[in-house]
Amino acid sequence: MSNNKNEKVLEIKDVHAKIGNKEILKGLSLDLEPGKVHAIMGPNGAGKSTLSKTIVGHYDVEMTGGDIIYKGKSIKDWEPEERALEGIFLSFQHPVEIPGVNNAYFLRTAVNAKRKHEGKEELNAAEFLREMKKYLELLGMKSDMISRSLNEGFSGGEKKRNEILQMMMLEPDVIILDEIDSGLDIDALRAVSEGINRMKDGKRSFLVITHYSRILDYIEPDYIHVLKDGKVIKTAGPELVAQLEEHGYDAIEE
Amino acid sequence: MRLTINNLKKKSKDEIAQMLGLTDDLPPSKEAALERLSTLGIPTKKSEEYRYFDVESLLDKSYEVHMHVPKEPKIGEKIVIENGIIIEVPKGMRVYYDQCDALDLTHYDPIYYLGHLLAPHVIKIDLDGDAEVELVHRYTHSGALLPYRIVLFNQENRHATVYETFETEEISDSLILYGYDMHIAKDSTLRLIKTQSMDENRYAMISSNRIKVNDHANALIKTFDLGGDQALQLFKVDLGTYSHIDAGHLLYLNHQAKRGTVSKINHIGEHSTSQQEAKNILDGNARGIFDALIKVEHSAKWTKAHQNSKAILLHEDAYMAAKPQLEIYIDELEASHGATTGQLDRKQIFYLQSRGISYVEARKMLVIAFANTLIETVKDTRHQERIQKAFEKAFYTGHKELKR
Ligand SMILES: Nc1ncnc2c1ncn2[C@@H]1O[C@H](COP(=O)(O)OP(=O)(O)O)[C@@H](O)[C@H]1O
Ligand SMILES: [Mg+2]
Repeated sequence: MSNNKNEKVLEIKDVHAKIGNKEILKGLSLDLEPGKVHAIMGPNGAGKSTLSKTIVGHYDVEMTGGDIIYKGKSIKDWEPEERALEGIFLSFQHPVEIPGVNNAYFLRTAVNAKRKHEGKEELNAAEFLREMKKYLELLGMKSDMISRSLNEGFSGGEKKRNEILQMMMLEPDVIILDEIDSGLDIDALRAVSEGINRMKDGKRSFLVITHYSRILDYIEPDYIHVLKDGKVIKTAGPELVAQLEEHGYDAIEE
Repeated sequence: MRLTINNLKKKSKDEIAQMLGLTDDLPPSKEAALERLSTLGIPTKKSEEYRYFDVESLLDKSYEVHMHVPKEPKIGEKIVIENGIIIEVPKGMRVYYDQCDALDLTHYDPIYYLGHLLAPHVIKIDLDGDAEVELVHRYTHSGALLPYRIVLFNQENRHATVYETFETEEISDSLILYGYDMHIAKDSTLRLIKTQSMDENRYAMISSNRIKVNDHANALIKTFDLGGDQALQLFKVDLGTYSHIDAGHLLYLNHQAKRGTVSKINHIGEHSTSQQEAKNILDGNARGIFDALIKVEHSAKWTKAHQNSKAILLHEDAYMAAKPQLEIYIDELEASHGATTGQLDRKQIFYLQSRGISYVEARKMLVIAFANTLIETVKDTRHQERIQKAFEKAFYTGHKELKR
């Protein structure tokens, strides 16, 4: 590990955050390195989802202290869409259903918003559909995902695959996956992991939030961070997974 | 002739007739209309059916009553009615002036009768076979009171569709009293798809309708009311045995608009069914109205009646008056009704934002999605797209951006 500033894409510095009146993050610090897979593990209610929401600027969360530095700039006052356009992506633990918004139309709008932001030419409907079909096939998704409403009536697995589809097409630089593995059968887990692994290009960073270690068999992490009671209490290499499995979170010393 | 409708208040039949310039030897239908108008009285803000609509200020203005001068219509693609005059008719279609011979004598709306009294004749449209016709209304006069009415008949066992739109020149301060007497024949279907985009301060409209759905017939009434200004559509629907009505009303209002639907659906025949759904999107200082009664008579055993209103307020000054009501005199039925008013879903907005879509654009996508759920019930894709465009035009020009 290096302290060189240039080797951190995202720096979470002593963040305190509240939801309602309750302080959830209590001085959390964490650095993400480019090209690396960081896994966050921790018991239920530790604040893992709150951390992901804080990074993307969710309205539930009020940051009361600390800072978040992304590519050298503080983003803590940025709008959620600015964070997304600049390359931060969150795969939600519970993606919301949006009846009446066509899935393909939505994703094309998002992709083109990002392309426009980057000064690239927007994709027309035909170009976009060709791309989308490619990824649908890769993720083992049915082609009716094009015409259905966004997440409406999707099964748990379909929702997660749809999150990964968005991730792949939006080509973000920092990818946060909140419990992407929960509720997935083995086929879905394989498809989703394959999608994630394809996105590894030596520059992109991943923050894989998980309650179980199952997904880590498929996406090999570089670092394991243990989050407990609103703080990162330990950072180690992948060998920590086995230790956690054997002894649980309570055995971890701060 | 100039007329201030409020001056007809508390006047006798003879006085009303005189003030409306009606001669002594009235045809029976006008005689009956006069009787009903004087019984019901000119509406005020206390009248139940006008309680959410600012009717008094409209009726208080003095208007020049528009003189109808019929001329030979040309043959065209559509039915075009300009200032109450038929100016274009599709080849072979029967659209003509006539006396009204089937007035509803139990309508609740006095303006229904006033419209019949003021209109020198009715426009009759006989829909032959499985006709599909576009009906365009056009208004070109300012400061005018324009009364005209349509009587519509279709044929048994046939399925006809009317797509209705409204156009206007740069006029102001007119009041249109309009409406249908619709007779839907046994075993037939009649679909009326109305789209009315209105700019602020052009004309106001009270459209007062009577729909008689005969035994085993289907009525499908979809209304898309968009933009600003003041307009109220009032329906009285009578349902025969095994008849059905499917009514859907989309409102997108902005500025100071006051618009909406007042309806009474009467289940008279056994096994009659009704379904009425209102989707309301209210912007700016607009007020939306959905004041709808479903009445199930003693005679209407085994009926089904479902009614629902959903409103989204886009601005803190917008308001929805939603009053779904059921009046039921029997036990053997299936009925439900409800109304909700709320804002756009924050979770949904955030989800879209988190994918790089701006807050403003995310809200627009969700509004359009909400509207689409009703627009998509128009099965003809060309008309569906036309209505979608009309909606987006009204929305993109009239939407008052709200700061976060
Ligand atoms: N919207 C919310 N309102 C109130 N409390 C919340 C909300 N979201 C999370 N919390 C609380 O914050 C704590 C951390 O939750 P969360 O970040 O979801 O934990 P994790 O993802 O690690 O299971 C929990 O005690 C939870 O009850
Ligand atoms: Mg969680």
